[in-house]
Amino acid sequence: MAQHQVNYASAAGLPIALTSVDKLVNWGRSNSLWPLTYGLACCAIEMMASGGARYDFDRMGTIFRASPRQADVMILAGTLSKKHAEFARRLYDQMTEPKWVISMGSCANTGGMFNTYATVQGVDRIIPVDIYLPGCAPRPETLQYALMMLQKKIRRESANMNNNTKQNLRLV
Amino acid sequence: MQQPNKLTPFFENLNFERDDNTMVINFGPQHPSAHGQLRLVLELDGEQVVKAYPDIGYLHRGIEKMAENMTYNEFLPTTDRLDYIASTSNNYAYALAVEKLLGIEAPRRAQVIRTMLLEINRVISHLFFIATHALDVGAMSVFLYAFREREFAMDLMEDYCGARLTHSSVRIGGVPLDLPNEWINKMIAFCDKVDYEVEHTYNALLQENRIWKMRLEDVGVISAEDALSWGCTGPMLRGSGVNWDIRKEEPYELYGELDFDIPTSDRCDSYGRYRLYMEEMNQSTRILRQLVPMYKESEPQLMAHAPQYISAPKEEIMTQNYALMQHFVLVTQGMRPPKGEVYVPTESPKGELGFYIKSEGEPYAYRLKCRAPSFFHTGLLQKLLVGTYIADVVTIIGTTNIVFGEVDR
Amino acid sequence: MRKYVPKDNVQGKSYYTDRYWVAPRVPRMEVEADSHFADVLKALGKLSKESYVEIGQLVVHIDATTNVEVMTVLKETCGYTQCSEQSAVDYLAKDGEFELFYQLLNITEAKRVRVVCRIKKGEAIESITSLYHSANFAEREMFDMFGIKVNNHPFLKRILMPDDWEGHPLLKTYPMIGDEFASWYEVDKIFGKEYRDVIGPENRDPARIDRYDTKRFSRVGYEVPFDADISDGEKEQAIEYSETLLVDYTTSSKTLDERR
Repeated sequence: MAQHQVNYASAAGLPIALTSVDKLVNWGRSNSLWPLTYGLACCAIEMMASGGARYDFDRMGTIFRASPRQADVMILAGTLSKKHAEFARRLYDQMTEPKWVISMGSCANTGGMFNTYATVQGVDRIIPVDIYLPGCAPRPETLQYALMMLQKKIRRESANMNNNTKQNLRLV
Repeated sequence: MQQPNKLTPFFENLNFERDDNTMVINFGPQHPSAHGQLRLVLELDGEQVVKAYPDIGYLHRGIEKMAENMTYNEFLPTTDRLDYIASTSNNYAYALAVEKLLGIEAPRRAQVIRTMLLEINRVISHLFFIATHALDVGAMSVFLYAFREREFAMDLMEDYCGARLTHSSVRIGGVPLDLPNEWINKMIAFCDKVDYEVEHTYNALLQENRIWKMRLEDVGVISAEDALSWGCTGPMLRGSGVNWDIRKEEPYELYGELDFDIPTSDRCDSYGRYRLYMEEMNQSTRILRQLVPMYKESEPQLMAHAPQYISAPKEEIMTQNYALMQHFVLVTQGMRPPKGEVYVPTESPKGELGFYIKSEGEPYAYRLKCRAPSFFHTGLLQKLLVGTYIADVVTIIGTTNIVFGEVDR
Repeated sequence: MRKYVPKDNVQGKSYYTDRYWVAPRVPRMEVEADSHFADVLKALGKLSKESYVEIGQLVVHIDATTNVEVMTVLKETCGYTQCSEQSAVDYLAKDGEFELFYQLLNITEAKRVRVVCRIKKGEAIESITSLYHSANFAEREMFDMFGIKVNNHPFLKRILMPDDWEGHPLLKTYPMIGDEFASWYEVDKIFGKEYRDVIGPENRDPARIDRYDTKRFSRVGYEVPFDADISDGEKEQAIEYSETLLVDYTTSSKTLDERR
């Protein structure tokens, strides 16, 4: 009696099935990105404008959430000061996996024009960032583009977050 | 009790185990209705606030320190990031302070353009106020409508200076550009739109709205003496029945020539202040309409003529040797104002925005202090919140209209 | 030789000042020209040490110990009901003193007065919170930024900086980009000191380019795959770089001279 040769449970044995699951899961994840409203400074106003009437983020399945437990994406919009840094990290830790981070604006990317004692020189010092978004302040179109880039990135990734290279970049 | 460490920190939001049976609630620093990064530590007895302690500084960026290490012209774009909802009012307040120190005055056309920009920024800021205030209180649709109108104002600013949010549209000694073609007509159309929308959208939605009135009436009551003592200015002071507007009392730019009213309210509560903001938008459009003939009558000079401090116009720089040399010195070394100190107050949309500049005759300011209205309004919260209910806390934060860029600087 | 940098004042300096340059002074007017300010001065009497009108506002120099007395006179007699602003200026490097100013406003007359006093380093000032509540936050900010102690303040505590911060940022001795403590503050706080090596020092050079970082920087002349490791050797390239121009400014301070 011939035995079934393919062992679906082994590590390398699931190419076809997993790709489809990846696609399905990533389709779901990328089309309902719920950002955490992490408005810090000027960029937060542009982030609100993107949720407003003209730019209307809801049509992309993006609804701003106030709680980190309900959010997938953290949009760090604005200057992160050293006093605030631990709270940003704490909220990032409170978000459920899978989670992504968009760093919005020059201040969040590198400290920007605020090369002073009180600002964190780039939020990637404390949390891993997926998309860096330049501008001071970036227009809502830029944020929209960043979100589309993030969707692309998610579709490219494996559904199992442990397989993604980004995981190795996580600081802690 | 949970053992706190660095990665799983203290769960500090609720603290039930207190002897006097009050509950301590931590509000912020990241809360959607905290208008930025306000952290409030509230002590509650049941639902009533017994003690409120505003903790600020989560957006402290060292802007005053930057001012000491930058030349006067370099610092101007940084002032955008103070009150980032109405950037031009900060640019203008700073430019006016430096102009007073230098003893120069902007030419007539620049004054007209500045006054126009200031009033458009006032409308932008008030629209933002009504959007966020209504959103905090629970009226989501007002947010969408107000942001729709705000986008038209942003378009006007973008047509003029190229930026939506951080304008830098005023220079020390004048304005950089003349108004683009057709801008005036767009502005008049915008004024009509604002007048219409204030009456038919915001007031229709809110003014007699039962829920809105219940949430706002007799909430955040502050007497005139308290308002003065706590350093309230702008709508917070006028909402308490004190008729004080720097545009009227200590006129700067063209406000002395313009015909407008200062609305005040004797109600002393949040609803009175909301009415005031709506009325001020109408006054702003009234000012904008009066400025149109003034613009058409004025000479097309945009920057003051003070070669010691201000670069000559581009044509002169390109054609005359001495103008080029002076431009080079002013760009590389910066202007050197005379020794002295100046404090110039202006009426920003939030209240009295003043810049104190101490100059030692160097290209770098020896000390620059920004008197931000929101800073003192935040200080008022520790008085205003005591005795109110927890549900009214967001209403009161909304009605003070604080912006954390200028609270923390 | 390394350039001498004074430690007591690290504020930005102009790279060139004409040796014959004498800064002019903003003109000061006599107080008597304005009747209201003359009345104010009469009410203050001997409390005012020096007074003049500068850019439309009365400036009164007083003795720092009499500040509450002066404010009481100004509030009760002269109608200055609002304290708009209160802060300090650091003159420690020059005179060893702080200059404190109180900006007061009279809304019935639409007049402003600036009360100025000087205190030595380490001295405290009396709080005026009992007269003007707005001084509550303003004095806390002054304490935070300059380290000036305020007596009888209801809640004197840091306001803008975190409670465990070291140093007072607006002192002239404090550099703009912060000291050692400031540069590691968030790392120490979140991850602990042992993570300093993992995260690395702050990049304070806005124009810094990492030659071997293929993630954040693209290459001129030829393409490298994203996130490829090129540290052990690079391909032949069409455009030649001069090695001397690519200097790591973050580690060495004298490289600028070597370039020349």
